[in-house]
Amino acid sequence: MHVLAIDTATAQVGVAIGVGDHVAGEVRLVGGRRHAEHLVPVVERLCDDTGVRLDRLAAIGVGVGPGLFTGLRVGVATAKMLARVLRVPMVAVGSLDLVAHPLRHADRQIAAVLDARRSEVFYGRYRTVPGGVLRIGDPTVVPPEDVVGDLLSRGVETLLAGDGVSAHPEVFTDVDRAEWAGPTFDFPSPASLVALTAHRVEREDFAQPAEVVPVYLRAADARINWEQRSS
Amino acid sequence: MTRLTLGIETSCDETAAAVVADGVDVRSSVVSSQVDLHTGFGGVVPELASRAHVELIDEVINEALVEGGADFDTIDLVGACCGPGLAGALLVGVSAAKAIALAASIPYVGVNHLEAHLHATVLEHPSVEFPAVVLIASGGHTMLVEVRDRLDYNVLGETVDDAAGEAFDKVARFLGLGYPGGPAIDRISPRAIPRP
Ligand SMILES: [Zn+2]
Repeated sequence: MHVLAIDTATAQVGVAIGVGDHVAGEVRLVGGRRHAEHLVPVVERLCDDTGVRLDRLAAIGVGVGPGLFTGLRVGVATAKMLARVLRVPMVAVGSLDLVAHPLRHADRQIAAVLDARRSEVFYGRYRTVPGGVLRIGDPTVVPPEDVVGDLLSRGVETLLAGDGVSAHPEVFTDVDRAEWAGPTFDFPSPASLVALTAHRVEREDFAQPAEVVPVYLRAADARINWEQRSS
Repeated sequence: MTRLTLGIETSCDETAAAVVADGVDVRSSVVSSQVDLHTGFGGVVPELASRAHVELIDEVINEALVEGGADFDTIDLVGACCGPGLAGALLVGVSAAKAIALAASIPYVGVNHLEAHLHATVLEHPSVEFPAVVLIASGGHTMLVEVRDRLDYNVLGETVDDAAGEAFDKVARFLGLGYPGGPAIDRISPRAIPRP
Protein backbone atom coordinates (compact mmCIF):
# COMPACT_ATOMS: atom_id res chain seq x y z
CA MET A 1 0.00 0.00 0.00
CA HIS A 2 1.42 3.36 -1.02
CA VAL A 3 1.75 6.30 1.32
CA LEU A 4 2.41 9.94 0.49
CA ALA A 5 4.80 11.92 2.69
CA ILE A 6 4.91 15.73 2.96
CA ASP A 7 7.27 17.86 5.05
CA THR A 8 7.57 21.63 4.57
CA ALA A 9 8.73 22.61 8.04
CA THR A 10 12.07 24.01 6.85
CA ALA A 11 13.42 25.83 3.80
CA GLN A 12 12.88 22.53 1.98
CA VAL A 13 9.70 21.35 0.26
CA GLY A 14 9.96 17.58 0.73
CA VAL A 15 7.62 15.02 -0.83
CA ALA A 16 7.97 11.25 -1.23
CA ILE A 17 5.81 8.31 -2.23
CA GLY A 18 6.51 4.72 -1.33
CA VAL A 19 5.45 1.32 -0.10
CA GLY A 20 6.78 0.38 3.32
CA ASP A 21 10.53 1.07 3.40
CA HIS A 22 10.63 1.25 -0.37
CA VAL A 23 10.57 4.75 -1.77
CA ALA A 24 9.18 5.00 -5.29
CA GLY A 25 10.10 8.64 -5.62
CA GLU A 26 11.35 11.56 -3.59
CA VAL A 27 11.55 15.29 -4.33
CA ARG A 28 13.44 17.84 -2.24
CA LEU A 29 13.26 21.47 -3.33
CA VAL A 30 15.41 23.82 -1.31
CA GLY A 31 15.57 27.57 -1.42
CA GLY A 32 13.06 30.32 -1.57
CA ARG A 33 10.05 30.45 0.66
CA ARG A 34 7.52 29.48 -1.95
CA HIS A 35 6.19 26.36 -0.29
CA ALA A 36 2.58 27.12 -1.22
CA GLU A 37 3.47 27.48 -4.90
CA HIS A 38 5.63 24.38 -5.13
CA LEU A 39 3.97 21.80 -2.93
CA VAL A 40 0.87 20.77 -4.89
CA PRO A 41 2.61 20.74 -8.31
CA VAL A 42 5.41 18.61 -6.80
CA VAL A 43 2.88 16.10 -5.40
CA GLU A 44 1.11 15.95 -8.75
CA ARG A 45 4.35 15.49 -10.69
CA LEU A 46 5.61 12.81 -8.32
CA CYS A 47 2.37 10.87 -8.66
CA ASP A 48 2.64 11.06 -12.44
CA ASP A 49 6.30 10.03 -12.50
CA THR A 50 5.88 7.13 -10.08
CA GLY A 51 2.61 6.02 -11.62
CA VAL A 52 0.91 6.07 -8.23
CA ARG A 53 -2.62 7.38 -8.41
CA LEU A 54 -3.68 9.58 -5.48
CA ASP A 55 -6.86 7.57 -5.01
CA ARG A 56 -4.77 4.45 -4.36
CA LEU A 57 -2.99 5.92 -1.34
CA ALA A 58 -3.42 4.20 2.03
CA ALA A 59 -2.34 7.13 4.20
CA ILE A 60 -0.73 10.54 4.24
CA GLY A 61 2.26 11.28 6.44
CA VAL A 62 3.05 14.85 7.37
CA GLY A 63 5.93 16.52 9.18
CA VAL A 64 4.34 18.58 11.97
CA GLY A 65 7.40 20.56 13.03
CA PRO A 66 8.84 22.21 14.96
CA GLY A 67 9.92 24.41 12.09
CA LEU A 68 9.24 27.66 10.25
CA PHE A 69 5.62 28.54 10.94
CA THR A 70 4.31 29.47 7.51
CA GLY A 71 5.89 26.57 5.63
CA LEU A 72 4.71 24.20 8.32
CA ARG A 73 1.12 25.37 7.97
CA VAL A 74 1.20 25.04 4.17
CA GLY A 75 2.23 21.39 4.57
CA VAL A 76 -0.25 20.57 7.33
CA ALA A 77 -3.21 22.30 5.59
CA THR A 78 -2.39 20.57 2.30
CA ALA A 79 -1.95 17.14 3.88
CA LYS A 80 -5.16 17.51 5.89
CA MET A 81 -7.28 18.34 2.86
CA LEU A 82 -5.70 15.60 0.73
CA ALA A 83 -6.55 13.15 3.52
CA ARG A 84 -10.10 14.48 3.79
CA VAL A 85 -10.82 14.26 0.07
CA LEU A 86 -9.14 10.87 -0.36
CA ARG A 87 -10.68 9.59 2.89
CA VAL A 88 -7.42 8.17 4.20
CA PRO A 89 -5.89 8.46 7.69
CA MET A 90 -2.91 10.65 8.54
CA VAL A 91 0.32 10.03 10.39
CA ALA A 92 1.95 13.02 12.10
CA VAL A 93 5.72 12.86 12.59
CA GLY A 94 8.01 15.41 14.24
CA SER A 95 10.37 17.13 11.82
CA LEU A 96 13.40 16.62 14.10
CA ASP A 97 12.63 12.88 14.03
CA LEU A 98 12.93 13.10 10.25
CA VAL A 99 16.38 14.68 10.55
CA ALA A 100 17.58 11.96 12.94
CA HIS A 101 16.00 8.92 11.27
CA PRO A 102 18.31 8.79 8.20
CA LEU A 103 21.22 8.48 10.67
CA ARG A 104 19.73 5.47 12.47
CA HIS A 105 22.76 3.30 11.63
CA ALA A 106 25.14 5.67 13.40
CA ASP A 107 27.20 4.26 16.25
CA ARG A 108 26.50 7.14 18.63
CA GLN A 109 23.80 9.53 19.78
CA ILE A 110 22.31 12.02 17.32
CA ALA A 111 21.57 15.69 17.94
CA ALA A 112 18.98 16.99 15.47
CA VAL A 113 19.16 20.77 15.22
CA LEU A 114 16.89 22.84 12.95
CA ASP A 115 17.18 26.57 12.35
CA ALA A 116 14.47 28.44 14.26
CA ARG A 117 15.68 31.93 13.17
CA ARG A 118 16.10 34.75 15.72
CA SER A 119 19.35 33.18 16.95
CA GLU A 120 17.61 30.04 18.19
CA VAL A 121 17.38 26.42 17.08
CA PHE A 122 14.95 23.55 17.55
CA TYR A 123 16.82 20.75 19.29
CA GLY A 124 16.12 17.07 19.90
CA ARG A 125 18.47 14.33 21.09
CA TYR A 126 18.16 10.75 19.84
CA ARG A 127 19.71 7.38 20.44
CA THR A 128 19.71 4.66 17.86
CA VAL A 129 17.63 1.54 18.44
CA PRO A 130 17.19 -1.50 16.18
CA GLY A 131 15.31 -0.30 13.11
CA GLY A 132 15.21 3.38 14.00
CA VAL A 133 15.89 6.18 16.44
CA LEU A 134 14.39 7.04 19.79
CA ARG A 135 14.05 10.62 20.97
CA ILE A 136 15.33 11.30 24.47
CA GLY A 137 13.09 13.90 26.09
CA ASP A 138 10.98 16.55 24.41
CA PRO A 139 12.23 18.80 21.61
CA THR A 140 13.07 22.34 22.73
CA VAL A 141 13.79 25.74 21.21
CA VAL A 142 17.04 27.18 22.57
CA PRO A 143 20.04 29.31 21.56
CA PRO A 144 22.60 27.15 19.67
CA GLU A 145 25.10 27.72 22.50
CA ASP A 146 22.76 25.84 24.84
CA VAL A 147 22.84 22.81 22.54
CA VAL A 148 26.62 22.80 22.71
CA GLY A 149 26.48 23.27 26.48
CA ASP A 150 24.08 20.35 26.81
CA LEU A 151 26.25 18.09 24.65
CA LEU A 152 29.46 19.03 26.50
CA SER A 153 27.85 18.37 29.87
CA ARG A 154 26.85 14.86 28.74
CA GLY A 155 30.25 14.18 27.23
CA VAL A 156 29.15 11.40 24.87
CA GLU A 157 30.03 10.90 21.20
CA THR A 158 27.48 12.77 19.10
CA LEU A 159 26.55 13.15 15.46
CA LEU A 160 25.17 16.61 14.71
CA ALA A 161 22.60 17.03 11.91
CA GLY A 162 20.22 19.67 10.59
CA ASP A 163 20.29 23.14 9.06
CA GLY A 164 20.51 24.64 12.56
CA VAL A 165 24.10 23.42 12.62
CA SER A 166 25.01 24.91 9.24
CA ALA A 167 23.25 28.16 10.23
CA HIS A 168 25.60 28.57 13.21
CA PRO A 169 29.00 27.26 12.10
CA GLU A 170 30.83 29.50 14.60
CA VAL A 171 29.00 27.79 17.47
CA PHE A 172 29.16 24.20 16.29
CA THR A 173 32.73 23.99 14.94
CA ASP A 174 35.18 22.06 17.11
CA VAL A 175 32.71 20.87 19.71
CA ASP A 176 34.44 18.19 21.78
CA ARG A 177 33.32 14.63 20.86
CA ALA A 178 30.78 15.94 18.32
CA GLU A 179 30.92 15.54 14.55
CA TRP A 180 28.77 17.19 11.86
CA ALA A 181 26.89 14.77 9.59
CA GLY A 182 27.16 17.22 6.68
CA PRO A 183 24.77 19.12 4.41
CA THR A 184 23.14 15.93 3.08
CA PHE A 185 21.35 15.68 6.43
CA ASP A 186 20.36 19.36 6.73
CA PHE A 187 16.63 18.83 6.20
CA PRO A 188 13.87 16.41 7.27
CA SER A 189 13.95 13.30 5.08
CA PRO A 190 10.77 12.67 3.03
CA ALA A 191 11.93 9.06 2.51
CA SER A 192 12.12 8.57 6.28
CA LEU A 193 8.61 10.01 6.54
CA VAL A 194 7.41 7.35 4.09
CA ALA A 195 9.03 4.61 6.20
CA LEU A 196 7.71 5.92 9.53
CA THR A 197 4.23 6.52 8.10
CA ALA A 198 4.08 3.01 6.65
CA HIS A 199 5.14 1.45 9.97
CA ARG A 200 2.55 3.35 11.94
CA VAL A 201 -0.19 2.53 9.45
CA GLU A 202 0.69 -1.16 9.91
CA ARG A 203 0.18 -0.75 13.65
CA GLU A 204 -2.99 1.28 12.96
CA ASP A 205 -1.36 4.12 14.87
CA PHE A 206 -2.77 6.99 12.85
CA ALA A 207 -4.68 10.24 13.30
CA GLN A 208 -7.73 11.86 11.79
CA PRO A 209 -7.19 15.17 9.95
CA ALA A 210 -8.88 17.25 12.68
CA GLU A 211 -6.39 15.91 15.25
CA VAL A 212 -3.30 16.95 13.34
CA VAL A 213 -1.87 20.27 14.53
CA PRO A 214 1.53 21.86 13.98
CA VAL A 215 4.10 21.82 16.77
CA TYR A 216 5.34 25.40 17.21
CA LEU A 217 7.29 25.30 20.50
CA ARG A 218 7.00 29.08 20.55
CA ALA A 219 4.09 31.28 21.56
CA ALA A 220 2.81 33.70 18.93
CA ASP A 221 4.65 37.03 19.02
CA ALA A 222 1.78 39.17 20.28
CA ARG A 223 1.15 36.73 23.06
CA ILE A 224 4.78 36.89 24.18
CA ASN A 225 4.75 40.72 24.12
CA TRP A 226 1.44 40.82 25.91
CA GLU A 227 2.57 38.53 28.69
CA GLN A 228 5.76 40.51 29.16
CA ARG A 229 3.81 43.75 29.30
CA SER A 230 1.26 42.47 31.80
CA SER A 231 3.80 40.86 34.09
CA MET B 1 -26.97 20.92 -14.78
CA THR B 2 -26.14 22.54 -11.47
CA ARG B 3 -22.58 23.59 -11.01
CA LEU B 4 -21.39 23.54 -7.39
CA THR B 5 -18.54 25.75 -6.20
CA LEU B 6 -16.77 25.45 -2.86
CA GLY B 7 -15.37 28.80 -1.71
CA ILE B 8 -12.73 29.21 1.01
CA GLU B 9 -11.77 32.41 2.82
CA THR B 10 -8.93 32.83 5.35
CA SER B 11 -7.63 36.33 4.60
CA CYS B 12 -7.97 37.72 8.12
CA ASP B 13 -9.52 36.52 11.39
CA GLU B 14 -12.39 34.42 10.07
CA THR B 15 -12.13 30.87 8.79
CA ALA B 16 -14.94 30.58 6.26
CA ALA B 17 -16.28 28.28 3.56
CA ALA B 18 -19.40 28.21 1.44
CA VAL B 19 -21.10 26.14 -1.22
CA VAL B 20 -22.72 28.09 -4.03
CA ALA B 21 -24.74 26.64 -6.90
CA ASP B 22 -24.33 28.14 -10.36
CA GLY B 23 -22.53 31.16 -8.96
CA VAL B 24 -25.69 32.68 -7.49
CA ASP B 25 -27.47 30.29 -5.13
CA VAL B 26 -25.83 30.16 -1.68
CA ARG B 27 -26.38 26.64 -0.35
CA SER B 28 -24.28 27.08 2.79
CA SER B 29 -22.01 29.64 4.39
CA VAL B 30 -20.00 28.67 7.47
CA VAL B 31 -17.98 31.35 9.25
CA SER B 32 -15.86 30.58 12.27
CA SER B 33 -14.90 33.88 13.85
CA GLN B 34 -11.79 34.27 15.99
CA VAL B 35 -12.85 37.54 17.64
CA ASP B 36 -12.44 36.02 21.14
CA LEU B 37 -8.88 35.04 20.28
CA HIS B 38 -7.83 38.57 19.38
CA THR B 39 -9.82 40.47 22.01
CA GLY B 40 -7.33 41.82 24.50
CA PHE B 41 -4.72 42.50 21.84
CA GLY B 42 -6.68 45.43 20.37
CA GLY B 43 -6.56 44.02 16.86
CA VAL B 44 -5.97 40.92 14.78
CA VAL B 45 -2.69 39.18 15.59
CA PRO B 46 -1.52 37.60 12.30
CA GLU B 47 0.30 34.65 13.87
CA LEU B 48 -2.66 33.78 16.14
CA ALA B 49 -5.02 34.06 13.17
CA SER B 50 -2.89 31.72 11.05
CA ARG B 51 -2.66 29.16 13.86
CA ALA B 52 -6.43 29.16 14.28
CA HIS B 53 -6.99 28.80 10.51
CA VAL B 54 -4.90 25.66 10.22
CA GLU B 55 -6.74 24.07 13.15
CA LEU B 56 -10.22 24.98 11.89
CA ILE B 57 -9.90 24.78 8.13
CA ASP B 58 -10.88 21.16 7.52
CA GLU B 59 -13.81 21.23 9.96
CA VAL B 60 -15.18 24.47 8.50
CA ILE B 61 -14.94 23.10 4.96
CA ASN B 62 -16.56 19.87 6.03
CA GLU B 63 -19.44 21.73 7.66
CA ALA B 64 -19.98 23.91 4.60
CA LEU B 65 -20.17 20.79 2.41
CA VAL B 66 -22.57 18.95 4.74
CA GLU B 67 -24.83 21.98 5.20
CA GLY B 68 -24.76 22.63 1.48
CA GLY B 69 -25.77 19.04 0.70
CA ALA B 70 -22.51 18.46 -1.15
CA ASP B 71 -19.34 16.45 -0.79
CA PHE B 72 -15.93 16.34 -2.44
CA ASP B 73 -17.31 14.10 -5.19
CA THR B 74 -20.09 16.48 -6.19
CA ILE B 75 -18.34 19.87 -6.22
CA ASP B 76 -17.20 21.06 -9.63
CA LEU B 77 -14.90 23.90 -8.68
CA VAL B 78 -12.96 25.19 -5.69
CA GLY B 79 -12.06 28.83 -5.14
CA ALA B 80 -10.06 30.57 -2.44
CA CYS B 81 -9.44 34.15 -1.51
CA CYS B 82 -5.83 34.70 -2.57
CA GLY B 83 -5.31 38.30 -1.41
CA PRO B 84 -5.00 41.00 -0.40
CA GLY B 85 -4.93 39.94 3.26
CA LEU B 86 -2.59 38.57 5.92
CA ALA B 87 -0.03 36.57 3.96
CA GLY B 88 0.37 33.67 6.41
CA ALA B 89 -3.38 33.41 6.92
CA LEU B 90 -4.19 33.46 3.20
CA LEU B 91 -1.76 30.60 2.56
CA VAL B 92 -3.78 28.24 4.76
CA GLY B 93 -6.93 28.65 2.68
CA VAL B 94 -5.09 28.65 -0.64
CA SER B 95 -3.14 25.49 0.31
CA ALA B 96 -6.34 23.75 1.38
CA ALA B 97 -8.09 24.73 -1.86
CA LYS B 98 -5.21 23.58 -4.06
CA ALA B 99 -5.07 20.25 -2.22
CA ILE B 100 -8.81 19.74 -2.74
CA ALA B 101 -8.47 20.63 -6.43
CA LEU B 102 -5.70 18.08 -6.88
CA ALA B 103 -7.33 15.25 -4.93
CA ALA B 104 -10.82 15.79 -6.35
CA SER B 105 -9.54 16.50 -9.90
CA ILE B 106 -11.41 19.79 -10.18
CA PRO B 107 -10.16 23.26 -11.15
CA TYR B 108 -8.89 25.77 -8.59
CA VAL B 109 -9.55 29.49 -8.95
CA GLY B 110 -7.80 32.14 -6.87
CA VAL B 111 -10.13 35.05 -6.20
CA ASN B 112 -9.21 38.61 -5.32
CA HIS B 113 -10.48 39.50 -1.85
CA LEU B 114 -12.03 42.80 -2.95
CA GLU B 115 -13.68 41.28 -5.99
CA ALA B 116 -15.29 38.80 -3.59
CA HIS B 117 -16.62 41.68 -1.48
CA LEU B 118 -17.98 43.23 -4.65
CA HIS B 119 -19.63 40.07 -5.79
CA ALA B 120 -21.20 39.53 -2.36
CA THR B 121 -23.55 42.43 -3.14
CA VAL B 122 -24.78 40.57 -6.20
CA LEU B 123 -25.42 37.42 -4.15
CA GLU B 124 -27.30 39.41 -1.48
CA HIS B 125 -29.23 41.58 -3.92
CA PRO B 126 -29.79 39.70 -7.18
CA SER B 127 -32.04 42.52 -8.37
CA VAL B 128 -29.12 44.96 -8.69
CA GLU B 129 -28.86 46.11 -12.29
CA PHE B 130 -25.63 47.06 -14.01
CA PRO B 131 -23.94 49.41 -14.44
CA ALA B 132 -23.79 50.14 -10.71
CA VAL B 133 -21.44 51.86 -8.30
CA VAL B 134 -20.34 49.84 -5.29
CA LEU B 135 -18.72 51.16 -2.11
CA ILE B 136 -16.36 48.68 -0.46
CA ALA B 137 -15.82 49.50 3.20
CA SER B 138 -14.09 46.46 4.67
CA GLY B 139 -11.56 46.12 7.48
CA GLY B 140 -8.61 46.69 5.21
CA HIS B 141 -9.98 48.59 2.22
CA THR B 142 -12.21 51.50 1.36
CA MET B 143 -12.91 52.01 -2.34
CA LEU B 144 -15.52 53.08 -4.82
CA VAL B 145 -15.93 50.81 -7.84
CA GLU B 146 -17.93 51.13 -11.03
CA VAL B 147 -19.35 47.72 -11.92
CA ARG B 148 -20.11 47.86 -15.63
CA ASP B 149 -21.24 44.29 -15.74
CA ARG B 150 -20.56 41.04 -13.90
CA LEU B 151 -16.76 40.64 -13.61
CA ASP B 152 -16.18 43.96 -15.38
CA TYR B 153 -14.92 46.66 -13.01
CA ASN B 154 -13.42 50.09 -12.96
CA VAL B 155 -11.97 51.46 -9.71
CA LEU B 156 -13.17 55.05 -9.31
CA GLY B 157 -11.22 55.84 -6.17
CA GLU B 158 -9.80 54.53 -2.92
CA THR B 159 -8.21 55.68 0.32
CA VAL B 160 -4.50 56.37 0.16
CA ASP B 161 -3.79 55.45 3.79
CA ASP B 162 -5.97 53.70 6.40
CA ALA B 163 -9.23 52.04 5.43
CA ALA B 164 -12.40 53.12 7.20
CA GLY B 165 -12.56 49.83 9.12
CA GLU B 166 -8.99 50.23 10.32
CA ALA B 167 -9.74 53.77 11.42
CA PHE B 168 -12.62 52.45 13.52
CA ASP B 169 -10.38 49.85 15.19
CA LYS B 170 -7.61 52.34 15.84
CA VAL B 171 -9.93 55.00 17.26
CA ALA B 172 -11.65 52.38 19.42
CA ARG B 173 -8.30 51.18 20.74
CA PHE B 174 -7.24 54.76 21.41
CA LEU B 175 -10.44 55.45 23.35
CA GLY B 176 -10.21 52.12 25.18
CA LEU B 177 -13.49 50.81 23.72
CA GLY B 178 -12.17 47.32 23.02
CA TYR B 179 -11.93 45.22 19.90
CA PRO B 180 -13.48 45.00 17.31
CA GLY B 181 -13.87 48.76 17.12
CA GLY B 182 -16.75 49.04 14.62
CA PRO B 183 -19.53 47.56 16.79
CA ALA B 184 -18.17 49.34 19.90
CA ILE B 185 -18.31 52.74 18.24
CA ASP B 186 -21.67 51.92 16.70
CA ARG B 187 -23.03 51.10 20.16
CA ILE B 188 -22.03 54.42 21.73
CA SER B 189 -22.55 56.60 18.67
CA PRO B 190 -26.25 57.37 19.36
CA ARG B 191 -25.10 59.13 22.51
CA ALA B 192 -22.80 61.41 20.55
CA ILE B 193 -23.36 65.13 20.93
CA PRO B 194 -23.43 66.84 17.54
CA ARG B 195 -21.37 70.00 17.20
CA PRO B 196 -22.63 72.83 15.06
ZN1 LIG C 1 -12.71 41.47 3.62
